[in-house]
Amino acid sequence: MMKREPAWRVFAAEFNDTTFELRATEEKTPSYIVTPLGSKINRIFVTGVLTDVENISEEGEYLRAHVSDPTGVFTLYSGQYQPDATSQLQAIEVPSFIAVIGKVRTYIPEEGGLFVSIRPELIREVDSQIRDRWILDTCYQTKQRIIAFREALKMKQPNVYDLRKLGYSKELSEGIITALQHYGPVDISRYVALIRESLQFIIPSQKEVQDIQKPPQHKIVEPKKKKKTEKKPMEDQDALDDTKETIETLVLDVIKKLEGAEGAAWDAIIDHCKKKKITEDQIEEALTSLMDKGFIYEPVLGTIKTT
Amino acid sequence: MSDDDIQKHIDDIIDASDKEIDRDELEKEFRKFLEYGVPADQTKQTLLKKFSGSLPSSTQERTLIVDVKPNVPSVHLLCRVVSINPKEITVKGEPRKIYYGIFGDESGTIPFTAWKDFNISKGDILDITNAYTKEWQGAAKVNLGDRTRVMKTDESKIPPISFEPREYKLKDLRNGVGSVIVVARVMSLNERTVTVDGKTKIVYSGILADDTAKTQFTAWHDFKLKEGMVVRITGAYVKIWRGIPQVTFDEKASVQKLEASVIKRDDITPQRLLLHELVERNGALDVEVHGVVIEIRQGSGFIFRCPECRRTTLENKCSLHGEVQPLADLRLKLTVDDGTGTISVLVGKELTEQLLSKSFSELKKQYAADANSRFLTDIEKMLFARTVHIKGNALGDDFGITLIPEEIKLFEYDMATESEKLLEELEELV
Repeated sequence: MMKREPAWRVFAAEFNDTTFELRATEEKTPSYIVTPLGSKINRIFVTGVLTDVENISEEGEYLRAHVSDPTGVFTLYSGQYQPDATSQLQAIEVPSFIAVIGKVRTYIPEEGGLFVSIRPELIREVDSQIRDRWILDTCYQTKQRIIAFREALKMKQPNVYDLRKLGYSKELSEGIITALQHYGPVDISRYVALIRESLQFIIPSQKEVQDIQKPPQHKIVEPKKKKKTEKKPMEDQDALDDTKETIETLVLDVIKKLEGAEGAAWDAIIDHCKKKKITEDQIEEALTSLMDKGFIYEPVLGTIKTT
Repeated sequence: MSDDDIQKHIDDIIDASDKEIDRDELEKEFRKFLEYGVPADQTKQTLLKKFSGSLPSSTQERTLIVDVKPNVPSVHLLCRVVSINPKEITVKGEPRKIYYGIFGDESGTIPFTAWKDFNISKGDILDITNAYTKEWQGAAKVNLGDRTRVMKTDESKIPPISFEPREYKLKDLRNGVGSVIVVARVMSLNERTVTVDGKTKIVYSGILADDTAKTQFTAWHDFKLKEGMVVRITGAYVKIWRGIPQVTFDEKASVQKLEASVIKRDDITPQRLLLHELVERNGALDVEVHGVVIEIRQGSGFIFRCPECRRTTLENKCSLHGEVQPLADLRLKLTVDDGTGTISVLVGKELTEQLLSKSFSELKKQYAADANSRFLTDIEKMLFARTVHIKGNALGDDFGITLIPEEIKLFEYDMATESEKLLEELEELV
């Protein structure tokens, strides 16, 4: 019997961190990717903003599309063998909220590395409510993975059997043990930060505002000598991201206050934000990023509305 | 090392092996190992393995059945054959006879499969080395394969097997747990007459519940059960029916009536399960699940059924009754997924009407029955990618789990409370 694979809820940032895959060795057995946090994914369910669609094939139909969530961007490839998804991608206006159910695909370029993408099985346009709920569900499931990961690290010899005894699914338990073998203990704080940032966007409360009134803490980052292959050290990246996220939340709040039914005028937004000690450059950057993430749009030139 | 010593070691190896070994050849090998300075004990181990393909049982500590874990490549058991049955299976087109049953020791019982004939029978006391274990229905199962060595031994080797029944909560019942005690409330009861070996017997069956789960039961004896009674059943067995464990007991069991307050009606609530739990258990009665509708499948919407047998018809033809006057019906076949597992949900006419808040006749008017595709598009708009809350019974088969809902509704998120709660929980993780 072919067991139907569950559709994982994973943020783009965790998805794109993947450098490891479990290729099926036998026919009719599924392949998986394993993320650093132990998601063992064959099928995935994503909701986000369709930001662009292009045909990348000389002849015929082969579309590449991008879907963004609060943490990053998923890449989709859809062609003649996915007629339904392909025609949906051509029909849906950009930008729109879409839900995608699809299978994970990998590409290993000659110079090494691994690129992950999604081959859609089903695509539909959805509303912002569905998007918000997907963010909440995905926050929750990412948190559950972090907790399971910590449980594994507590064990003398982390193993699938004992993780399952704690009530985690077979797939997740296997995924975490595989991730530990391949990536080692992951930097959990990165994923905690991802969840926190994503939640900022769906919390419809004023409590956040008080936190934001404190001016963002700019850390002064000593430039370090970097090895060629070394990524930017995580913590500096986080500090910068934190500031960005804070400004974006602030800007979004301003728009919500101003917009009414008609939307908020660009100039009014700039004025209000400047009072909160944000530079014009920072505001522009925040607006672009918020548009990319699908939280605001421009119904008329010069007017901004939240979705 | 003296020649005498060498001969003694060689005797040991030959004694320990269950195969014929050429003594001269063994001696030649043994001396070669000694020349290379390999210690005698290690040489014995290596050569025994080489010449007979097995290790002496003394090399591996015995595992008690209660401690057996799944997916272990080699275990050593000392146990009794509680039951054994042959089974004909087909492997790669070849018919093959295997044996399955239950082993027991002083710590408990465990199901086993023997992939060849080890010539064992019920009641034998066995010393088993190099058995391997796999996971089956969420618990460990012992397998006896080509590498496994089975030796019959005598009663003195094993303390008396405890067949003391153990008390279980209904949710923990699994195949092969042996004799059990359950304390449960009789939720429903019916009787039917069956013929066994030419004798007619009355069988009592129904649903039992405790505060963890519901399960079906079958009683082969009249224990004067009544609906609403709370009972302690001692000496019942677990049988698997359609993937779901059920409780079976007969005149050998004892049934004691308890105060009805031991399990109050209000203690009995549906189990809230994640979908992976439902899939791994292969079904369960009276469950409550949440999940996202990720597909509205073929065969949803308006369908036509044969008036004789209720099978769906194609162009007014039933596969059994030929040309018929079909009856219109309404149903939804959904795929529901919560990120941990995925199930099918089969929503019948009444619940579909409730879900859409429209009666069948209104729907027929709205979508003249031939416009099924338009109807499905509208259903999709309403349900696709949304979370549903479902109560009902889940049955497992070769295609996975199908949940038959008694209740299905769109799940209302409380975004503010939920996200606040998550933020608080995150603080504990940092």
